[in-house]
Amino acid sequence: MVMIGILSFALITLVAGTLATFVAGRYARYVALGVSLLFLFEVVYMLQAFSWPLFGANGAPQYAFYETAPWVSLSWLKINYAVGVDGVSLPFVLLTAILQIATVVYTFEEKKNPAAWFGLLLLTCLGSFGVFVSLDILQFFLFWEAVLIPMFFMIGYWGGVRRRYAALKFFIYTHVASVVMLVSLFALAFYSHAPSFDFVDLYAPARSLATVTQVFIFLGLFFGFGVKFPIVPFHTWLPDAHVEAPTGGSVLLAGLLLKLGGYGLIRWGLELQPQGLEHLSPLLYAIAFASIIWGAFLSLSQRDLKRLVAYSSINHMGIVLLAIAVYSNLGILAAVLLMFAHGIVSALLFMVAGSVHHTFGSRDIVTVNGITPKTPVLSTMTMVGALASLGLPALISFPAEFTAFLATWDRIGYWVLVPLIMLVVTAGFYLWMMQRMLFGPMRGVPEDAHDLPPYEAIAMGLLVALIVLYGILPSLLTNIIIQSPTAYGLP
Amino acid sequence: MSYTVVLEEFLPALLLLGGALLVFLADVVRVRRLEVFGGIAVAAIVGTLGSVLADLGTPYLEAFRTIPASVVDAPIAPGDLFAFTSLGLIFQGIFLLAALLVALASLSRPSHERGAAVFYGLLLLATLGMMFVAVAADLIFLLLALEITAISSYLLVGYTRRDPRPLEASMKFYIIGALSAALSFFGASLIYGAYGSTSLLVVGHTYPAGADGPLALAGFAFLLVGLGFEVTLVPFHMWAVDVYDGAPHDVSAFLAGGTKKAGLFAFFLVFLTPVVIGAGAQLSGSLELLLAILAVATMTVGNVAALMQDQMKRLLAYSSISQAGYMLLGVAIGTAPAIEGATFQIFAHVVLKAGAFLVVGAVAAMGVGPFVRDYRGLGHRRPVLSVAFALMLLGLAGIPLTIGFFSKFVLFSAAVEAGGLFVWLAVAGVLNSALSVFYYARILRVMYMEPAEGTDPATGTDGPLLPLGGLGYGRASAIALCAVVIVLFGIDPAPLLTAFQSGASHFLALGV
Repeated sequence: MVMIGILSFALITLVAGTLATFVAGRYARYVALGVSLLFLFEVVYMLQAFSWPLFGANGAPQYAFYETAPWVSLSWLKINYAVGVDGVSLPFVLLTAILQIATVVYTFEEKKNPAAWFGLLLLTCLGSFGVFVSLDILQFFLFWEAVLIPMFFMIGYWGGVRRRYAALKFFIYTHVASVVMLVSLFALAFYSHAPSFDFVDLYAPARSLATVTQVFIFLGLFFGFGVKFPIVPFHTWLPDAHVEAPTGGSVLLAGLLLKLGGYGLIRWGLELQPQGLEHLSPLLYAIAFASIIWGAFLSLSQRDLKRLVAYSSINHMGIVLLAIAVYSNLGILAAVLLMFAHGIVSALLFMVAGSVHHTFGSRDIVTVNGITPKTPVLSTMTMVGALASLGLPALISFPAEFTAFLATWDRIGYWVLVPLIMLVVTAGFYLWMMQRMLFGPMRGVPEDAHDLPPYEAIAMGLLVALIVLYGILPSLLTNIIIQSPTAYGLP
Repeated sequence: MSYTVVLEEFLPALLLLGGALLVFLADVVRVRRLEVFGGIAVAAIVGTLGSVLADLGTPYLEAFRTIPASVVDAPIAPGDLFAFTSLGLIFQGIFLLAALLVALASLSRPSHERGAAVFYGLLLLATLGMMFVAVAADLIFLLLALEITAISSYLLVGYTRRDPRPLEASMKFYIIGALSAALSFFGASLIYGAYGSTSLLVVGHTYPAGADGPLALAGFAFLLVGLGFEVTLVPFHMWAVDVYDGAPHDVSAFLAGGTKKAGLFAFFLVFLTPVVIGAGAQLSGSLELLLAILAVATMTVGNVAALMQDQMKRLLAYSSISQAGYMLLGVAIGTAPAIEGATFQIFAHVVLKAGAFLVVGAVAAMGVGPFVRDYRGLGHRRPVLSVAFALMLLGLAGIPLTIGFFSKFVLFSAAVEAGGLFVWLAVAGVLNSALSVFYYARILRVMYMEPAEGTDPATGTDGPLLPLGGLGYGRASAIALCAVVIVLFGIDPAPLLTAFQSGASHFLALGV
């Protein structure tokens, strides 16, 4: 009997689960729920057993639960199957498990072709999980693309009125980006003359590449990962995709897909081409500030709740980029924490937007007002989500943003005022939204509007609980994140 | 060399000839059933394929060897007309796979169809020509083998005889083909004038010295144009779209998946092999650059034109032109990994494009029109067939976990590995495949996201299922075979890559 590690086992769980869901017909939702629970259980086991084994003898980084096996082996091309996690990737694995189960529960009563819906949903999570644990260039890319295709169908088939346009736009933007990313990763592999495409083999040779090479490769990677972020000016696919996507699609899109870009930039960009990042940091700062400012002001002018949340994602991911660009120990900690926080909070907010739409037939902040008396639970969820997103202390985003601003202050001093001032704008549009939508005089609320159906309430309740838990005890995450070779040797 | 030895070595090819003669004979004695002709053809092709696989050293098939292992990849003497190389045998396998797919699929056509015997007979003869192309070691032998294939395929395009559109396509194909053959033979005669021989080996070994000679250069230029027509190299590609569009669906599959690949192998032999180049294993400067430019032009023109097509077959035809550009990259680069990548790309393209044309044929037989928009809602009206078609389109677009991803991946990384100017070829190739995703994704969108006519907008999904009559067992098994190959080698390409790698390295070592 071949012994396989927990990561391979989790991959097999998801692959088998996805296939089973596709053919399970009307039982698909139960299969999907079972698979999600099993996967969550495996991830909890990983959290329990996790400890980072530090660097190896030859200076190569090591990973927990590491497994490797040759996949394609030619004289001039060696591709491995390689999986492993460290403190940077494990929080994202946890995020994948949480959002998978939350989305399955939230959309438990999906009526339109449920087998395909839950199958694609699990496939998206499978792809994301694969991206977060892959330590081989080609394997990483396979999973990266594997996320793209189910999302294309989820938007295009279950989406809103302009879904076909949005699906194609999403596909084209992200595909062009991933092609550029692939070319850059190729260049990385071939210029560093590593013995294989394995991250562990690439680590030392890639980091010692000439500065000019690193700058060009990092630029390519930055574009490739940045479109997923999304960074201004390549962000225009995001509002379209979000607004047209079904709620479950939006949740995964904001919660997981955006994180792929940030994770990829840290793992393959920052870690392998540090000099490239350092030389390009002015560009990164400029784009981060542009995303923060542009995202905040665009949110301010939205009247569609979903569009508002979508634009606020651009703002938040701008802060993530800023935290990566400062290139310090604290910055990486902040970036991972921020992405985890944003993953959960934006998932909650997109669920809120979806439920508002089901309940009132509209997401328009201007016409749907004063919903609290009619739907107190939904209203509470909205409030928690909005307050978390604007960074209220004791909720999950606060420690993340606080760390990010601290790291920024350490490295570039008073420039930290830019995101801090924009925080006021962020608070502004959320408070304004809450004031009108939740607390104003009741308008545009149908007489027969009911509060949240149980499945939706359970899914949102889970996320709210996590928002509070990690808000009060961020050390549950930070203790994991610091166990990583990523920040090695940084200030 | 005695005739018996030659006979034995060509036994597999002769099986095809025998099959063709048997088909014609059955026609003469008034057998009027398509299944009979098809059965003979499939049997002949499968038998030949088995023997070719045995000659390649496939395990469990040693008993069927017809060529001793010592002959494969043996050194070539200047007077040899033919030589068995492992790369040539791999290409024979590829040609036979294309023929098998088409022969299988055509079994689903009406049993009493007119011209069925002509179709199967010519299919076998064309395949026979391709088998000879794969073993050629002499320019005249090569061009004659190509002519066998070409003449058979002109007739194949117009075999229905009554419909005006295939006839027009056939005439166009014939005229262009005649021109191309004339140019190629004229080029060969100039090369004979320059080197005093048409043996690819002799030409190869004197190539460095004779390269400056205007006579030799003119000879190669004529060959480039002549063979360029065969492989739809831009700017000699105009005929291809009309012919692929006008030909019967199964014949289009054979042209795109089969005969064009024979032209590509001829390209390999004339412009790339050690047999031509001697020890250098690289084309010398100007030809290399010219080929690279033409290859990039081919893929770009094909892709841009495909973006603008409304008809499914024309779209696939343009995409086929662009794919030829990728394959020619391998010739332009000329290293072992590049040949390996090009061979893989050619293999992948057989199952992807021939499969796609077969699906189009099946869908047309179900009464769906020729336009892309006619495929609306196909994903719900014929779910399994649509999944197969989607796999083929994703493969053509180079999406991972299909064979098309690995073939492009190996090809482009070979370009990067070769370094220098070739890195830009890889960039051009990658950008082109990004461009091509647009039109493949458009078809997917039409199939899965746009409702078919007659669909109830309220319930949304379930239009009426299409009749299954157009599919039949033959076509279904051919399409299923393609789908299996696409996924299987998309997940684990290692067995194929190992074979191609050894073939490519032996091929380059031949002339040393």
